[in-house]
Amino acid sequence: MSLFEIKNCKKNFNGIKVLDDINIKVNEGEVVAIIGSSGSGKTTLLRICTFLEYMDCGEMSYLNEKIVTSEDGIARYIGQKELSIDALNKNKELVRIKSYFGLVFQNFNLFPHWTVLKNVMDAPISVQKKDINEVKEKAIYYLKKMGLEHKTNSYPCELSGGQQQRVAIARALCLEPKIIYFDEPTSALDPELTSEILKVIKELASEKRTMVIVTHEMNFARDVADRVVFMDNGVVVEEGKAYDLITNPQKERTKRFLQKYD
Amino acid sequence: MINIQDIILKVFSGAGATCIIFFSTIIFSLPLGLLITFARMSKFKPLSIFAGTLISILRGTPLMLQLIMWYFGPYYIFGVSFGLAWRVPAIIIGFSINYAAYFAEIYRGGIQSIPNGQYEAAAVLGYSKSQTFWKIIFPQMVKRVIPPVTNEIITLVKDTSLAFVVTYTEMFTVAKQIAAAKTTIVPLFVAGVFYYIFNYLVAFIMEKIELSFNYYS
Ligand SMILES: Nc1ncnc2c1ncn2[C@@H]1O[C@H](COP(=O)(O)OP(=O)(O)OP(=O)(O)O)[C@@H](O)[C@H]1O
Ligand SMILES: [Mg+2]
Repeated sequence: MSLFEIKNCKKNFNGIKVLDDINIKVNEGEVVAIIGSSGSGKTTLLRICTFLEYMDCGEMSYLNEKIVTSEDGIARYIGQKELSIDALNKNKELVRIKSYFGLVFQNFNLFPHWTVLKNVMDAPISVQKKDINEVKEKAIYYLKKMGLEHKTNSYPCELSGGQQQRVAIARALCLEPKIIYFDEPTSALDPELTSEILKVIKELASEKRTMVIVTHEMNFARDVADRVVFMDNGVVVEEGKAYDLITNPQKERTKRFLQKYD
Repeated sequence: MINIQDIILKVFSGAGATCIIFFSTIIFSLPLGLLITFARMSKFKPLSIFAGTLISILRGTPLMLQLIMWYFGPYYIFGVSFGLAWRVPAIIIGFSINYAAYFAEIYRGGIQSIPNGQYEAAAVLGYSKSQTFWKIIFPQMVKRVIPPVTNEIITLVKDTSLAFVVTYTEMFTVAKQIAAAKTTIVPLFVAGVFYYIFNYLVAFIMEKIELSFNYYS
């Protein structure tokens, strides 16, 4: 089943094309890695998928429900007339859709004034209005899974970068999204902590969780992802089975990019 | 003969009035400042321009002048006179609005210093705009503004003496009167000690509050 699909997505910043005609489809249980050099538009794409940014033109759907359609080359979001970030934030329809996905940021973005447990528990309670006891049980379950059961009462500033990122992953998991996006989840971490996070994500992949991961870790993409998408200059240059694309790229641009990682 | 005890008692009799100005201003100006910040940061341009102009005028003219305006304004503009009953309200309004303008700018700086990632994380998790502000932004802002707010509060303690311009007998006014009548500077010295002790307490309490926010960084 298709969980997420984006078609002919275009995005300009001040007249500069950042995304041009992007098409990506993610099926349930699939792990998709997005690779590409700096400035190729990977973050922008994830921001559009998570409603932090709007697309200028294109289509988007979650669970086959159309979220964005386009008329005369202009994107139209459901339940919204105007095209702006402000309008996205106010859109009630999109709030419901937001429960389908989670996003893990490069620099974690935990809430520093809350304990680890509160960081993980608060959104299910105050956004999804779930029962406190149920949520607490689940939060502790996910924190245990992340190896952080002894840190529930710590504050983010008391944790290492790797631990903070694991809290951020637990926070995303606790909302039980159908798909989780990761934007370079290890880029802010040193090599030792990087492998700790990659291990966690690998474990999630083995549970058949649907994930889209922007990464510069080519071996990780090859071993963990089902599919890899290579982006350059705002377009998808090549897409294919992870192992095939990384070990035997077809396009010249992909080859040149991957050579840098050998 | 000047009796020092007598002077201290007399000067301190004005302390109540000083405290009334001080605490009323704190109670009204801290929340009012937040309202002005909202207006100033509003996406509705006319409102934010209005708030910006207001802040600029309130910070750009002497508080003493503003107090006179509030006290005599109703008479000169509307021809109505509330008499002496209007004096304390006029002082409290003048102080509160003036300090609210300073607090508004401090709050705005605090809010703007919070990284955008906090808003983005909240947006993806599904928090509404008001939840994001009250649960995530506001508590972090409070921690960040405590030091500059403390500075303003210390200034306020000293500024209470400006109420003399509308002949309100707070402590400084009393001290000046005794000093003039008895040709001695002792009362002024006593008043100075009072302001110093008051501010010492303010600094002590604010430091305790600041420390209570040190559980995270
Ligand atoms: N808010 C913005 N305003 C203007 N330009 C932007 C904005 N956000 C991104 N861009 C530009 O869009 C292009 C794509 O940026 P993006 O962050 O999506 O790249 P990326 O592939 O994630 O790169 P990296 O690997 O460095 O994270 C860049 O040229 C960037 O300068
Ligand atoms: Mg990026």
